[in-house]
Amino acid sequence: MPVPAFDVQRSSNSTTLTVRGSLDINTAPQLGEEIDRLVVDKPKLVIVDLSGLDLIDSSGVAALVKLYKGVRASGGNVTISGVRDQPLAIFKLLRMDKVFNL
Amino acid sequence: MHITSLVFCPSMPATIRLSVPGTLRYRDLAVRIVAEAARLVSCSVQRAPNDPLDHDVRDPFDTAVVSAFMEIFNNVAIHAYKRKGGGTIDIAITPKDREIVIEVKDHGSPFDIDEVPPLPNELDADTLPEGGMGIHIAKTMLDEVTYEPGPPNLWRLCKRLPGGARASTRV
Repeated sequence: MPVPAFDVQRSSNSTTLTVRGSLDINTAPQLGEEIDRLVVDKPKLVIVDLSGLDLIDSSGVAALVKLYKGVRASGGNVTISGVRDQPLAIFKLLRMDKVFNL
Repeated sequence: MHITSLVFCPSMPATIRLSVPGTLRYRDLAVRIVAEAARLVSCSVQRAPNDPLDHDVRDPFDTAVVSAFMEIFNNVAIHAYKRKGGGTIDIAITPKDREIVIEVKDHGSPFDIDEVPPLPNELDADTLPEGGMGIHIAKTMLDEVTYEPGPPNLWRLCKRLPGGARASTRV
C-alpha cells in the first residue's frame, strides 16, 4: 500500500497538517489515524495545507470532513489552504468549497 | 529520454484492455493508465520531468475522467469484492477522437445504485457527508454513467470533450 505523505507541526497557537501527493482510499486510513490523535489534543486552530495535494477521492474528502467535524466539536477551527486543480474541482463538485471557504 | 508531450491523437478508436485483481492494491496502476488514455483524447500536455506533481490531471477533461474512474474502481473493490478480492476487474478503455468510453466489469456482488443517498441540499458544518460521495462524483463528472448488475456487473463511463477545440494549452 502507498504511504501517505503528510506531517503535523504543532505550535503554541496552531497545528498545521500538510498533505501531499494523493489522498485516497489507500492513503486516507493512515491519515485518519493521525487525525484521531490530533483531535484528542483539542487544538484551537488546525491549518490544513493542501498545496502539495494533486489527487483526492471521496475517501480523502471524508478524512478531511472527519477532521473538520472533530476539531469543531471540541471548540476549535479548521482552515484549509492551497487547494488547487483536481482536489479543488472535487470540493466544488461536492459544494464543500463554501463550507471550507476555499 | 523524457517524453514531455504527447503528439499522437487518435483518429480511429482502439480499445486498451487491462485486467487486474479486484483489490485496491492495483488501483493506482489502473488510475495511471486511465489518466494516460484520457490524455490521448484531451491532448493535454504531459508534465515535465521536474514537475513536482506526482499525478498530473490538471486538465478538466483528465480531472473528470480520472476522478470518476477512481470512484468506480473503489466501488467495485469495496462493494463487489468486499475488500477481499477473489476476482478480476476487467477494464476496457476506448479513447475516441472527442470522447473516452471506459467499461469496468467485475464478477462480484451486484451493487444497488438506487440505494446511494443524494447529497444534502444545504451543506454546512453539521451536514457535511462523510460517505456516499463516490457515485455522486462519478455521475456529475461524466456525461454518461450506466450500471448493469450481473454477474458480470458492468459499469460504462463516457466523457466527451466540451464544445469545439481540444483541451489544454498548459506547458
